[in-house]
Amino acid sequence: MTATIELPGAATAPAPTRRAWNVVRMHVSNPFPTLVVPWLITAVIFGLTLAIELMVVRAAGGVDNLEPDAFQYNGGITWIAVFMLVTAVQAMNLTFRFALGFSVTRRDFYLGSSVYFVLLALFYSTGITVMAGVEQATDGWGIGAAFFAPWGLVSQPLPVIWAACLMALLLFFFLGVAASTLWVRWKAYGLYAFFVAAAVLVVGVAWGITATNSWGALGDYLVSHSLLVIAAWSLPVTLACAGIGYLFLRRATPRA
Amino acid sequence: MTAIIEVEGLTKRFGKVTAVDDVSFSLDEGGIHGLLGRNGAGKTTVMQLLTGQDFATRGALRVFGESPVENAHVLSRVCFIKESQAYPDGFKAKHVLKSAPWFFHNWDQSFAERLVADFGAPLDRPMKKLSRGQRSAIGVIVGLASRAELTFFDEPYAGLDAVARHRFYDHLLADYAEHPRTIVLSTHLIDEAANLLQRVLVIDDGKLVIDADADELRASATTLAGKASDVNAFAAGRDVLDRSQLGGLATVTVAGLTHSDRAAAASAGLEASAVSLQELIVRRTGGAPAPQEDVA
Repeated sequence: MTATIELPGAATAPAPTRRAWNVVRMHVSNPFPTLVVPWLITAVIFGLTLAIELMVVRAAGGVDNLEPDAFQYNGGITWIAVFMLVTAVQAMNLTFRFALGFSVTRRDFYLGSSVYFVLLALFYSTGITVMAGVEQATDGWGIGAAFFAPWGLVSQPLPVIWAACLMALLLFFFLGVAASTLWVRWKAYGLYAFFVAAAVLVVGVAWGITATNSWGALGDYLVSHSLLVIAAWSLPVTLACAGIGYLFLRRATPRA
Repeated sequence: MTAIIEVEGLTKRFGKVTAVDDVSFSLDEGGIHGLLGRNGAGKTTVMQLLTGQDFATRGALRVFGESPVENAHVLSRVCFIKESQAYPDGFKAKHVLKSAPWFFHNWDQSFAERLVADFGAPLDRPMKKLSRGQRSAIGVIVGLASRAELTFFDEPYAGLDAVARHRFYDHLLADYAEHPRTIVLSTHLIDEAANLLQRVLVIDDGKLVIDADADELRASATTLAGKASDVNAFAAGRDVLDRSQLGGLATVTVAGLTHSDRAAAASAGLEASAVSLQELIVRRTGGAPAPQEDVA
């Protein structure tokens, strides 16, 4: 038997930033589901949407016979936000249990996962903005269509599209985080509580606005402020969800 | 020798169920140790507490002299392989092995590759499509190749056949000889693993019922066989753990024989043999009605 024990670098853990970065790498060690698949699905949705729109153009006998905004109320791209929510749910559930099995602390896992979500949100909002730029440059793919920047985003400058997109994706990520950490901690009862609380909150706010006769003021606020300012209202919600997520995960245990 | 694990009055309750009940023990650095007990006895919970995956209700525990809970400095020296390990959606074994070196800094890639070949582990299939045995093989590979200073194997070979299990024992022993470390193995295949174990901790119903050196434990009881009359005469007044009789022949398992006792048994024409660890533990954890059981 050998007598000496040589354990290189065994005395201390890597620096906190390195540990969080390793969690990011863990999330993308299989990059296909989160970095590639969404673009493929988006391409398919976009292709089908365009095919339908071209079919309508053909049936109408030309773009000129259609309303100019006929193809601008498309919701196809919003599926990405739902995808981000699901990605966050999976990460907080399965990847959390896996990470703890790899001797990661909850704090490092949460930090690394949050960085990963922010990077993903940047990645997708940048990609969507690039496509929106092409969309604007080609006059809506030649038929006045809006897929990557539909609805109120059609005529917005690209930086606004990018920022609105980023904030929306971040919101969905951390909504997913808050809901799934509740699940990890309290399973189904946690989720019941979450949705009941969310519903009570929405109805409560609506009551508050009605009781104070503020619907008109709210409408004025929405039309008199830029899209960016309105979208920025998601940030406190996103931050609150991120805080709630950490609070719940801090005492969560990976049980089957 | 320094204690790598120190546990004092450790208790874990899940609602009304007490999974771990006032357990105290310590383990010295180095060696392969067994954490044994029946299903649901609390072995996994103890290991989850020791690796910071669960939170103690009461009591103190220290790993490498510190609390393991949310302690990266402790956890980065620990590897915990358990049967119920979850894997991220879409993860294949190759992704598991790709991630491992980021978290286990003693990771030996070439050793991992040898183990993959030896266990025939499929790397390119999703983890959730693998059989129980194949998933266990991946766990065993990570546990061995991580070379963590403190490695826990919780039922590491569920679903592995006898050949694969022996490969695991062989690799464990060979690698342990080259890279000494502390390994805690939980299993209910006690006799299979018995020869590996230096120290044995047995948990029953959440309580620590045996904490002993494996050799001492084996020596703590002896099975004597011979003519029924001789056997009964010898056993009279002794601490009998088990007794059986077939026609004129009888065997009896007695606790705590001294050298002179053994000599007396031999001269009485009784044949003495060592008790298997498994038999002893089964008897002490309610496997058979044992009279006058005296267990701490």
